[in-house]
Amino acid sequence: MTKNRKALKQQKLSAAKQLTSGLKTVSADMIGELLGKVIASGNKVCIEGDNQKQADFLSQALLELAPDEINNLHMLISTIGLPEQLDIFDMGLASKIDLAYAGPQGFRMARMLREKQIEVGNIHTYNELYARYFMDLRPDVCLLCGVEADSDGNIYMNGSAEDSSAIVEATAFQQGIVVVQVNRIVDKVRRVDIPADWVDFVVESPRHKFHLEPLFTRDPAQITESMVLMGMMTMKGIYAKYLPRTLNHGVGFNTAAIELMLPTYGEELGLKGKALTNWVLNPHPTMIPAIEEGWVESIIPPGSELGMEKYVEANPDIFPIGADGSLRSSRLFAQLAGHYSADIFVGASLQIDALGNSSTVTSERMTGYGGAPNFGCDAGGRRHTSDAWLQAGQEYTGGGLPRGRKLVVQIVETFQQGMKETFVENLDALQLAADATFPLPPIMIYGEDVSHIVTEEGIANLLLCRTLEEREQAIRGVAGYTKVGMKRDKKVVADLRSRGIIQRPEDLGISKLRATRDMLSARNIKDLVRWSDGLYNPPSRFRNW
Amino acid sequence: MKFKISQSYLEATARQRIGFIVDKGSFKEIAPPSEKPASPHLDMFNIPKSFGDGVIIGEAEINGRPVSILAQEGKFMGGAFGEVHSARITGLLRRSLNTKPDAVVCLWDSGGVRLQEANAGEIGVTEIMGAIFDLKATGIPVIAAVGGSCGCFGGAGIITGCCDYVIASEEARIGISGPEVIETTMGVDAFDSRDRALVWRTTGGKNRYLFGFVKELVENCPEEFRSAICSAMAKSFKYSLKNLEAMQEHLQERADKFGSMDNTFDIWKEMGFNSPEAIPEMTVAELKSTVQAGGEK
Repeated sequence: MTKNRKALKQQKLSAAKQLTSGLKTVSADMIGELLGKVIASGNKVCIEGDNQKQADFLSQALLELAPDEINNLHMLISTIGLPEQLDIFDMGLASKIDLAYAGPQGFRMARMLREKQIEVGNIHTYNELYARYFMDLRPDVCLLCGVEADSDGNIYMNGSAEDSSAIVEATAFQQGIVVVQVNRIVDKVRRVDIPADWVDFVVESPRHKFHLEPLFTRDPAQITESMVLMGMMTMKGIYAKYLPRTLNHGVGFNTAAIELMLPTYGEELGLKGKALTNWVLNPHPTMIPAIEEGWVESIIPPGSELGMEKYVEANPDIFPIGADGSLRSSRLFAQLAGHYSADIFVGASLQIDALGNSSTVTSERMTGYGGAPNFGCDAGGRRHTSDAWLQAGQEYTGGGLPRGRKLVVQIVETFQQGMKETFVENLDALQLAADATFPLPPIMIYGEDVSHIVTEEGIANLLLCRTLEEREQAIRGVAGYTKVGMKRDKKVVADLRSRGIIQRPEDLGISKLRATRDMLSARNIKDLVRWSDGLYNPPSRFRNW
Repeated sequence: MKFKISQSYLEATARQRIGFIVDKGSFKEIAPPSEKPASPHLDMFNIPKSFGDGVIIGEAEINGRPVSILAQEGKFMGGAFGEVHSARITGLLRRSLNTKPDAVVCLWDSGGVRLQEANAGEIGVTEIMGAIFDLKATGIPVIAAVGGSCGCFGGAGIITGCCDYVIASEEARIGISGPEVIETTMGVDAFDSRDRALVWRTTGGKNRYLFGFVKELVENCPEEFRSAICSAMAKSFKYSLKNLEAMQEHLQERADKFGSMDNTFDIWKEMGFNSPEAIPEMTVAELKSTVQAGGEK
């Protein structure tokens, strides 16, 4: 079949063009019929869907296909975000999926896996999945999601382009068919993000608005004092020590706390201008105070954030902005930047074992990887140097051939809500892999890639550990009153502390009494709006006014 | 834009709030935690108790004038009215009938009756209401301040309505049935409790102020609460059948005028605000100047 990709595409196109009288634009009520012409049994169908944006209208339109005519589809979806994307498996249209993440549908995915209703090819990281679109997972059809199209098929994506460029490149130039839903068909698009001759069909979504999650909005009101304490430790014990200029933060509250403390505690530590200047980051609202205070030179975002549009557009020196004035984003490039040119990644996890392996998979919820493994690993192919990278490398090797090393920091509280222990002897991921007969347990970040673990008990510097036993005791030493923590060897832990491998808040000269919410430059979303001079327009669900 | 955060009344504990409001060093606590007053009912539910049962009571001075003061702790069981909790409040109010302070200041922060001790809590709420009416009849003003994260719902909403003068911040929500309760009984189309902007523009301090329920709207700032309480203490309140009947008439008119509207924005428009959608974005000062400039209140 692969020998005839070109001919098959032509066949499909001529059948479809009969429907559309030769036009690229399709009316919404014809979309099911059109998809029936361009999708064939066994095809690899890529739906644009990431953790924020979803091609919701086209996902729904798939439900109109008849499973007795079209079946065994092999779906390629970076993030399964909508129920329809799993309904097609229940209906018998699709049988196999390759994915990167299943956040909102994670519970259902786990159940379907247990009941063998779905075959999972592999779970990937984002860039890994895009890479396979150019190798052994070439899409036959892709269903994209844009903001505007003209009748020629030029597409405007705005700041939420995210996956689009990777998918369209892989499809359009490998004899696949590109169908795009847009909010509006217009005479002239605001900016051409995808040129018309890469696009086969466009359809105006009757909702005129695609599904978009404000995934990166963290309400400062929910930041606790232990998050503040862990943030202070990270800032003084890691940021002030290595002075990394390039970085990436995860999406959690722990890093949101740090972002909000740059103008306060960061200022006090004298970090401004010396560190943390160039970021890979979605437009986090919690970055507004730091941006306003002049901390940030640039932010390359993998995607957009709902409500941040005007604020981003008002900061073209920092965010990538097109000639038309709106944000341009690309998950592919942002992930590359995070992998190769960030000196430090700071994130969080749901479970960490005694060797530092971590996972966000729990027995009832299958999530996937998203981008964290690419951010949270040492980039073996990196060859450009920076002081922070070399300093970390020096600590890791302890001499010999000069090497660099990315700083990979996990900030976690020892206990989560409901007294759930973050540190465990065995990750749930191992059980999930056994149940689903995955050959590879879904580990988010491997222990050997982690440089530091920060808890409310202190910092464990794993770079300085010389043996696996030392690493294990360093981790148990900051695991507090969890079962993993209680099993620590007190003598070894005391020795690690005297060598600076474990540092308690007092070792860092941090008084716990100062770790209050008064450290935050904004207490709530309303404060962020005020910092932004009214440019930030938070979604309704985050307002308490 | 450089923006300096202020201390937050919303985030403060009950004890901190009392510290904000009263003259320094003047607070004399009644039945403090050291006497270990606590709920006898929570053990059987395996719920941790709190000494004081979630409310601090005592006497103090504000600008040198004697007051009775209470503060509910919203962080303990949502400030809910349990048996001991209610008895402590009732006791303070009844004691004030004898001590005759210049005012009784109530820092409410409560989701209503504590479900684990519902009957006792319901009775407690009525006893508190009765004591408030007795105080008002004696001419001792009862001043309510609402600015905690629980707001005032259920019995707490009713009690707040019984007070002479209500001070609230925009963040404070006041009502009878909470948003989740309305959604559960009426459906999500009637009221989407997760739409926070909708919840706040319906139950929040600004709307309660525009309706006249809240007499003084303040920013979420301890000094503003204190100065509003001081101003309230300079006022006199008249509690009479005539006033109650006038209020009843006013409420009837209000129901006739707005009763068919299902959106706060429409109501604000009807009140005379030309751009009602701008109201949630306004600061307290901006809103007050808009009201004075012609928007009807």
